[in-house]
Amino acid sequence: MPSLLLFMCIGVPLIAGVVCFSVRMAFVRTFTVLVTGAVLTAGALMLLGHGTFHYTPPAPWGGLINAAVSLADFALLGIMFQIARRHRHKLIMVLVALQALPLMFFELFLIDHKAPAAGFYGDNLSLIITLIVSIVGSLICVFALPYMQRHEDHQKPAHSRQPRFFFLLLAFLGAMNGLALSNDIVWLYFFFEVTTLCSFLLIGHDGTELAVQNALRALWMNALGGVAFVAGMIGVHQITGTTDIQQIVAAGPAAALLVPMALFCLAGFTKSAQVPFQSWLLGAMVAPTPVSALLHSSTMVKAGVYVIFRFAPVFAGTFFSQGLAIVGAFTFLVTIALALGQRNAKKILAYSTISNLGLIIACAGINTPTALTAGILLIIFHAVSKALLFLCVGTIEQEIGSRDIEDMRGLFAIKPRIAVITVIGIMTMLLPPFGVLISKWMAIEAASNNLPAVGMIAMGSALGFVVWGRWAGILMSASYKKGLTPEPMSAFTIGPLNVLAGGAVLFSLVLPWIYSLLVRPMLAFAPYQVSFGSLDSPIGGFTVIPIFIILALGFVAALKQAQKTRARHVAPMYMSGLHSGGPDDETFRGPMNRIVRIETGNYYLTRLFGEERLTFWVNNVAVALLVLMMGGAL
Amino acid sequence: MIKDTLLILFALGGAPLLGGLIAGIDRRITARLQARFGPPILQPFYDVAKLFGKQMIVPNAWQVFCAYVYLVGAVLSVVLFFLQSDLLLIFFVQAVGAVFLVLGGMAVPSPYAQVGAQRELIQVLTYEPLLILVFVTIYSVTGSFKISAVYGHATPLLKELPLIFLVLTYALTIKLRKSPFDFSTSHHGHQEIVKGVLTEHSGPILGLIEIGHWYETVLILGLCALFWATSAAGMLLLVGITYFAELIVDNAMARMTWRWMLGYVWSVGLAMSIINIIWLYTK
Repeated sequence: MPSLLLFMCIGVPLIAGVVCFSVRMAFVRTFTVLVTGAVLTAGALMLLGHGTFHYTPPAPWGGLINAAVSLADFALLGIMFQIARRHRHKLIMVLVALQALPLMFFELFLIDHKAPAAGFYGDNLSLIITLIVSIVGSLICVFALPYMQRHEDHQKPAHSRQPRFFFLLLAFLGAMNGLALSNDIVWLYFFFEVTTLCSFLLIGHDGTELAVQNALRALWMNALGGVAFVAGMIGVHQITGTTDIQQIVAAGPAAALLVPMALFCLAGFTKSAQVPFQSWLLGAMVAPTPVSALLHSSTMVKAGVYVIFRFAPVFAGTFFSQGLAIVGAFTFLVTIALALGQRNAKKILAYSTISNLGLIIACAGINTPTALTAGILLIIFHAVSKALLFLCVGTIEQEIGSRDIEDMRGLFAIKPRIAVITVIGIMTMLLPPFGVLISKWMAIEAASNNLPAVGMIAMGSALGFVVWGRWAGILMSASYKKGLTPEPMSAFTIGPLNVLAGGAVLFSLVLPWIYSLLVRPMLAFAPYQVSFGSLDSPIGGFTVIPIFIILALGFVAALKQAQKTRARHVAPMYMSGLHSGGPDDETFRGPMNRIVRIETGNYYLTRLFGEERLTFWVNNVAVALLVLMMGGAL
Repeated sequence: MIKDTLLILFALGGAPLLGGLIAGIDRRITARLQARFGPPILQPFYDVAKLFGKQMIVPNAWQVFCAYVYLVGAVLSVVLFFLQSDLLLIFFVQAVGAVFLVLGGMAVPSPYAQVGAQRELIQVLTYEPLLILVFVTIYSVTGSFKISAVYGHATPLLKELPLIFLVLTYALTIKLRKSPFDFSTSHHGHQEIVKGVLTEHSGPILGLIEIGHWYETVLILGLCALFWATSAAGMLLLVGITYFAELIVDNAMARMTWRWMLGYVWSVGLAMSIINIIWLYTK
């Protein structure tokens, strides 16, 4: 049974990608994407229903897959080397060589190729990642169908690049599932590299000079992570004598394993774009928005934190782990501060993504059951809300032709549907009773014994309030208009948006059960008791369901009251008595009796939080902290 | 269960009465400090009653929604406070109200309300980390984020956390929007941006906001009272002295700029928190 489900989750998307690539017809592509989405969703859910499993392919297959993966590893590195040569990028060439040569030595002389294959292993952590990839990922792929059509109508390439695009997107989904489910560290490395290559190719999709340049930056930074990964892999094999991830985790906690663990964490940092490696993710925003939603917020960047979570038990209770908590909390704080200085919606989302990943890593560093719960819940809820917000920005950008949040002022009056969905997305990132906030609450309580970390999380959380609050405010900032008509949207656009928005809200309602069924079994002891839909511990408690219900009732009551508003209740805004008196509410009589349009803008505090002002210091402090953390492993 | 129900009822009914009364006393004492006679103590209630008697005038429906949600957030946070629940939970529920107050201010492109809303965001940005730190230090003394643990603690928190209490009073001043932190809106007549974030609110909608503010006042004064939770008289005394000091500060200070507020409050607040935490560890 697992073999079939594994094939559905890993093999099917790859095959579907090949179909999209070779059959260049739009309806075949649409059909393939829809079917793949359904298969993936079903596969991931059935895998979850199946529970924890360990599957080793039967005798000849295990060895064959091992050999194939090893060869494919070198093929991938070869492709990367070719890319680096074509672009004359020496750094990438060096970094690829630094992966290929040790890997060759490792494969030829160190690994015992007669050892039984480690196969696939699915525990709740990997199953959660698989669920996110399969369900959120499929929704994003469906959204991409009409999006990429419009994108190409706008860009007008000589011949459609959509087949290639969907091949990469679907193959990526398979690779991501493979990464989450592999139990062999060499396989994990292979899928890690596949996601790097997919990311490179998708960032460069539009082929502009900027896109190519940013794609190369993403490639070299991730290749650096690859070097760290190979080194960690060899180190861990030399110490434990195995490539089986479960056996490696079981060998810990051991001081000798700390150095390879630190290298894995470094690889995770590059993949998750933690400071000082954040620039590649910001550059990645040149890619079409579905790519940003899929790779650069909800799934691929989670590969980094997945690796760190996977190995977290090995370094529990060490100085290194505390260092990890501080580095994560630092990223959380400084990247949300950088987001505050931004008015480009995709950059705000990118910085906020890095920030949340930082918080997840801080949770792994704190490494108590409470903290790990917070981190895993944040992985889930952040994926849903952030995918939703990226798709919203993509939709808005195609509608109004801008991703500047100042241009979204009063969007509600023109495009009420997408404006409301975006506001819902923002609320699910910011407020109780939604999952992201509950995870943050849990993270703060878990971090309370680590004062530098909790101080930084407190400040970052306040900065986040401003970042999200002003954006939500802008979207709804519009004078009264009678009879708004919802804008038309294609089913493949509004469908994923509605499902994600509904998911972000409703998953929060079932959070206590997500905790007790999915997260609790992974932990050494239960940090929270669940009763009456509330999480409770001696340290603190969150009455999830009662608060959800009361706030929901409050929202409905507020909505009922708001719906009573009629044109006769509406008066123009206050403008010191200088209204121009025209039909438009937003002009006044200025000097010389001229009609002046009022203009308002948000605070961006660029003198304090501007990119050019902060980035230099942020990167330097981050390097210092990284050195401190890595030193803790020695 | 009966105790909980009574507490909920008191939070729902008693808190706004208390908050309104405090606002009345505030106005009276402020007037005396300014050598005026001042309005009757019950004036805030008359004001709100009058507001509810007015015709509803709004810039759009969204503002109505925001005002109601603001009230819901404020009420729910007070109820949770009286149920002795988790301090951080109370704070985050209160943040629902805070964000919808800002959204209500931003509901129309009115320049005055927009500036007020931006300033209100900065006010939240200033006090939020301090409040979280206050709760974290309460946790490190009592071993729990729950208010019930504060009541279970043998000595007043004030004894171990004197500087943290001062940090809390900064947050109190900002939350009450008293000078020198009254940027986003102000009760004084010298506000340069009309009525700031509340400029576009009027009639019953402004009445709702006013009631919500009473709830918030009770919440934040309740947090102050927790620092002397071992005796009822101590709680009253502490809140009384603190509020009087607020009034003196309010009347003696000029309004500053938000840059000054952010820099000053964060640095002083953080420094005092760190010093107090070091004291805790050396004990």
